[in-house]
Amino acid sequence: MAIIEVKNITKIYNEKQVPVHALNGIDLDIGAGEFTAIVGPSGCGKTTLLNIIGGLDKPTEGSITINGSNLEDLTEKQIIDFRLHHIGFVFQAYNLIPVLTALENVIFILQMQGRPTKECVSTGKELLESVGLGDKINKRPSELSGGQQQRVAVARALASKPDYVLADEPTANLDSKSTSDLLDMMHQLNDTVGTTFVFSTHDQRVVERAKRVVTLVDGKIESDITQ
Amino acid sequence: MHLWPIIKLSWKNIWRNKVRSGVVIVSVLLGTCAGVFMTAFMYGLSMGYVKIQLQNFTSHLQIHTKDFEQEELPEAYIPNVDSLIQDLKLEPFVTAISTRSVITGLAASSSSSFGVTITGIDPQIEKNVSLIHTHLLEGDYLEGDRRNEVLIGQKLAERLGLKIRSKMVLNFQDVNGNISAGAFRVSGIFKSPNSQFDEANVFVKATDLNRLIGKPGAVHEIAILVDNFKMADQYKEQLSTSPNLVVESWGDLSPSLRYTDATVGTTLYIVMVIILIALTFGIINTMLMAVLERQQELGMLMSVGVNKTRIFSMILSETFFLAIFGAPIGVFFAWVGISALSETGVDVSAFSQGFEMYGLGTVIYPELQPGYYLNIGLLIMLTTLIASLYPSFKALKLNPVEAIRKI
Repeated sequence: MAIIEVKNITKIYNEKQVPVHALNGIDLDIGAGEFTAIVGPSGCGKTTLLNIIGGLDKPTEGSITINGSNLEDLTEKQIIDFRLHHIGFVFQAYNLIPVLTALENVIFILQMQGRPTKECVSTGKELLESVGLGDKINKRPSELSGGQQQRVAVARALASKPDYVLADEPTANLDSKSTSDLLDMMHQLNDTVGTTFVFSTHDQRVVERAKRVVTLVDGKIESDITQ
Repeated sequence: MHLWPIIKLSWKNIWRNKVRSGVVIVSVLLGTCAGVFMTAFMYGLSMGYVKIQLQNFTSHLQIHTKDFEQEELPEAYIPNVDSLIQDLKLEPFVTAISTRSVITGLAASSSSSFGVTITGIDPQIEKNVSLIHTHLLEGDYLEGDRRNEVLIGQKLAERLGLKIRSKMVLNFQDVNGNISAGAFRVSGIFKSPNSQFDEANVFVKATDLNRLIGKPGAVHEIAILVDNFKMADQYKEQLSTSPNLVVESWGDLSPSLRYTDATVGTTLYIVMVIILIALTFGIINTMLMAVLERQQELGMLMSVGVNKTRIFSMILSETFFLAIFGAPIGVFFAWVGISALSETGVDVSAFSQGFEMYGLGTVIYPELQPGYYLNIGLLIMLTTLIASLYPSFKALKLNPVEAIRKI
C-alpha cells in the first residue's frame, strides 16, 4: 500500500512573469519500506518534488496524499505539525544545530513533540548507537567529520519514527568511504526496521544501491525502475 | 507548548558569539546604570530645588485670615493666635512653627525708594522655619538688642544704595488706616537663591513692626514645617481652624513649585525611555545579525516542524537573555551609587554660580522612589519584547525551502 500518493502534480514558479515549469504532471506512488532514489540532471525538478512530498512547498496543480491525508486540506499550522510527527528530513549540508551535542540534536525533535526527557534520551542514545556513533553522543557537530554529522542527521530524522525519511542529496558533501558507510547504515535500517527512504540525488553510488530509481527529465518522469 | 528545549537552545545560542553578546550585555548594563543614576540625580536636583525654595521662606503650610488673603492689610491679623499655636503644636506632623506680621510698604533711602513686603519675625523662632539667616552676606541677623534694625536683600541694597548701618525709612499703613513710618538701620544684607525675593522683601523684628502699626502681638501669617513636605496637601485638610482662617499648602502658595514636583517624575521617565530606545536599536541590530547569519539553521528548524510560535519564542528568549543579564546588574550598581550618595550628596560647588542662579543647592542628593526601580524593570521587559519583534518577524518571514539553501 502506498504511503505517498502524488497525483498529476505540476509546479510553476514565477507564474505571472516568466513562468518556469519545474514539474509537469507527475504521478508517483511510494509504498511503505521502499528505498527510492529520485534522479536526474540539475534543474529536472528533483528537489521541488521532494519539497512537495515533504509539505515544504505547494504544487500549482495536483494533489498529494500522505497515509490517506491530503496535504491540500491541511492548514499551514497542521502541515508544520504533520512534518514534525510524520516526516524525517536529511539535508545535503547536514544542518545540525552547532551549539547542541549529537545527542541533543537527535532528541530535539522528540522534545518538540513533548516526549518525556527520559524517553527522549534513551531513544536518542539508541539511535546514535544504531548509526555507529554511540561513543560520540556528547560531541558537538564541529567535533565530528562530515560523514559522522550526516549520520547524526539521519538519527535525528529517524527519532520521531516518521512515516518516511526524505533525503535531499545526502551524500553530496561526503567522500566515498563516508558515502558507502552512510548507505550501508540506511540500507540496514530499511531492511531491519522497514524505514521508508526517498532520496533526491545524482550520485551514481546512491543510484546503484537504491531499490527503486525514478528518473526525472524536464519535470516529467522519464523512467521508474525497480532494481 | 514544550518551550523548555527552545529556551535552553536560546541560552546556548547567545553564547555562540561571546564577544558580540558581551558587548550588548555591557552596553545594557552601562546604559541602565547610567540611566537610572542620572534619573536619580535629576530627581534629587529637582527635589533639592523644591526643598530649598520652601525652606528659604515659603515653608510647607501657611495660615492667614480670609481678609488677609483678599488684601494684605495690617488689620487682617489672626485672632486668638496663642491658642491656635498651642493646637498646632499638638499635631504630630508639625515640626516647626513661626509667626510673622506681614505688611506691604515702601522702603526709602536718601537716593531712591521701592515697594517691598515688610515681614516682622521673631529672629530665633524664624530660624527653625526658614533659611534667611544662612544667606547673610554681611552684618548681623537681627540678633542684637537694638530697636528698628532691618535685614535687606543684596538686590534691594544695590537699588537703594544701602550698606551695613545705613539708615532707611519704611512707610506703611497702621491698623487704623493711618500712614505710618519708621526709620530703620540696616543690620544685615542677605543673598538668597532668588534675586526677585531679595529685592522685594525686608525683615524686621515683629515687636518693632507691631509697635509701629499700633497692634503689639499682631500675627498675620503662621508658617509651618511638616515632617514630609510631599504630604502638605493631606496635612492641610487635617488642620481644623476657624472658618475665618485659610490654610494653604506650599503647592497653593507656589503653583510653579507644585508643577515642578508633579512633572519631574514624567520627565524622568521620558529620559529613561530615550535611553532604552537607544538600547533597543543596539539589541535589534545584534539580534538581526544573529537571525540573518542563522537563516539556514532557522530554515532547517522550520522544515522539521518547529512552528512559528517556537521560533518567535526562541528569538524573544535570546533577546531577553541579552537584556536580563545587563539590566539588573546595571540597576544594582545604580542603586548602590544612589544609596551611597543620597547620604553624602554630590558636591557640585565647582559650578555653584550657575546652580545658585537657578535657585539650586551646591550639593545634590540623588534619590529615587522604590516604585521607580520596579517600573524600570517593567520598561526593560517591554524594551526586550519590542527589540525582539523585528528580528522575529524577519525569522518568521523566512521560506524554509529557500533559507535552508543559504550559506
